Amino acid sequence: MKRITIDPITRLEGHGKITIFLNEDGSVANTYLQIPELRGFEKFSEGRIAEDMPQITQRICGVCPEAHHMAGTKALDDLFHVEPTSTAKKLRELLYSSFYVTDHTTHFYILAGPDFVMGPDASPAERNILGVIGKVGLELGGAVINTRKQNHWIIQTVGGRPIHPCFGLPGGVSRAINEEERAKIEEIAKGSVEFAKLTLKVFDDVVLKNKAYLDMILSDTFTQKSYNMGLVDKNNKVNFYDGKVRVVGPDGKELCKYGPREYLEHIAERVEPWTYLKFPYLKKVGWKGFVDGKDSGVYRATPLSRLNAADGMATPLAQAEYERMYSTLGGKPVNYTLATHWARLIELLYAAERLLELSRDPEITSPNIRNIPTAKPDEGVGIVEAPRGTLTHHYITDEKGVIKKCNLIVGTTNNHAALFMSVRKAAADLIKPGVKITEGLLNRIEMAWRPYDPCMSCATHALPGQLPLEVTIYDAQGNEVKKLSQGI
Amino acid sequence: MKTLVLGMGNPIITDDGVGIQVAHEVANQLNDSQVAVAETSAAGLSLLDSIAGYDKVIIIDAIQTEKGQAGQIYRMRTEDFSLTKHLSSPHQINLATALELGKMLNLAMPQEITVFAVEAKDITSFSEKCTPEVEQAIPEVVKMVLQELDA
Repeated sequence: MKRITIDPITRLEGHGKITIFLNEDGSVANTYLQIPELRGFEKFSEGRIAEDMPQITQRICGVCPEAHHMAGTKALDDLFHVEPTSTAKKLRELLYSSFYVTDHTTHFYILAGPDFVMGPDASPAERNILGVIGKVGLELGGAVINTRKQNHWIIQTVGGRPIHPCFGLPGGVSRAINEEERAKIEEIAKGSVEFAKLTLKVFDDVVLKNKAYLDMILSDTFTQKSYNMGLVDKNNKVNFYDGKVRVVGPDGKELCKYGPREYLEHIAERVEPWTYLKFPYLKKVGWKGFVDGKDSGVYRATPLSRLNAADGMATPLAQAEYERMYSTLGGKPVNYTLATHWARLIELLYAAERLLELSRDPEITSPNIRNIPTAKPDEGVGIVEAPRGTLTHHYITDEKGVIKKCNLIVGTTNNHAALFMSVRKAAADLIKPGVKITEGLLNRIEMAWRPYDPCMSCATHALPGQLPLEVTIYDAQGNEVKKLSQGI
Repeated sequence: MKTLVLGMGNPIITDDGVGIQVAHEVANQLNDSQVAVAETSAAGLSLLDSIAGYDKVIIIDAIQTEKGQAGQIYRMRTEDFSLTKHLSSPHQINLATALELGKMLNLAMPQEITVFAVEAKDITSFSEKCTPEVEQAIPEVVKMVLQELDA
């Protein structure tokens, strides 16, 4: 067999690479995954004023700036030893819920939806949002644009600026909202709840009622029995903005529950020679390699993991959907990776309901939006749930609040190992001797990683925007058999 | 005619910020109050929100091509995009798809779109400045944008 070296020093040119090596008989020998990493951010942030970090870090990602903004803001609360006011916390969570509505909507209709609504064998010309809207209808298509647009208005109004809020401060937020704004937010929230319900119905009609898809969801190829991580509130219900990190095993048992400052006691990182990527894993379980099961420290932090790690949803309609998903898929926890798309829509509904609840909270228009810090800053950790996984910001400063060190674990980083394993398994199961490698087949391999929605749009920002990825298959002689690329 | 100059990119990832730097400089040199100048770090569907309602849009962004030289400048028109729409991923929404979607949903899409793209050298490390090769291209792109506005 010809030897091909994967040199991690080679610049990935801003896109991810999946490389598959075949045996003589055409079965898969090995699969490797390389994703561009954010390198040098720690150096870049040294010497900066910590209070600028929510502004700086939100520019890492063009897709989820609000997540970095919020994690950074909470890290500042901790850094300055100040508790935000009750109204400030609610405003933060209101903005954050609105952000989740936009983000999860985008993911389903543009990124994941085409797989399910059009089918993995549909031609690329149809398998995109245009095809989806062609199928679900212009009215729903218009509702997708409108829901995003209206919620962007909320983010801009509450956060002070479109896309990049100038909002979070240690101990509070920068502005209050008035009754006129509150009333409009409430109207938008009501519409968003209806939209979420409609989207779940689309999923029901198109995916769950289609036996071929249901079989795919339940198949062993797309099953992975890893630990589940997510933030939970004091009732162990899913919360995106605040709470403790809870980790639950593939058998449903709680492994640990910890506050932000304890994260380093629970998470360690594994380095592999063939990639720059680091692989976080659960320290207490230990690194056993790229395997699943309760003896392996590999964990997942995705919408599905959040639902698995919690005992339920904090709002009624989402709770009903939560129960329906688990009863349909055979109980808790659900280890079917493709069910992440369903979990994401349940979260969409929860985000909309939570937005509505908060818009009606009697405190939400209060002018009491900030507690001024008085203590000297030293070290702070802030954790939120980014749409793509648990997001941790850790700042160490001098006593003037100038950054000495900064560590970020972004949502997708939690999932590096699991993502790799999902892709490797799909490749091994689907590429068999004698089976023709079609685009549809490679799309099914992509369907193994798409539920994770890897967010590296920070790494590339040329015209396309989302994570460009290249899948290359080499035969036993080292010749390239097939190449599929997206967004390159 | 409502015109927009839109600088796209990420201002803290080295050459990815070139579009925004060009837009800033265009705003400095522009005397025409009829022309709006904006910057965005969003892409995809959010682009629709930025460009809807304008008749003419000029976009500036970074690009990486297989054989391009850092600092090289490309000028692309709407006709050039319909090709990229079909070659792009089924799962993302690039400019061409966003335009098509806007038309499908009867949103007010611009009739004229021009994109100036600058070949980037480094879009994976953190810096608020571009690499020298790309930095050198900025004045030229600014000139091209201003000429495009006069046309």
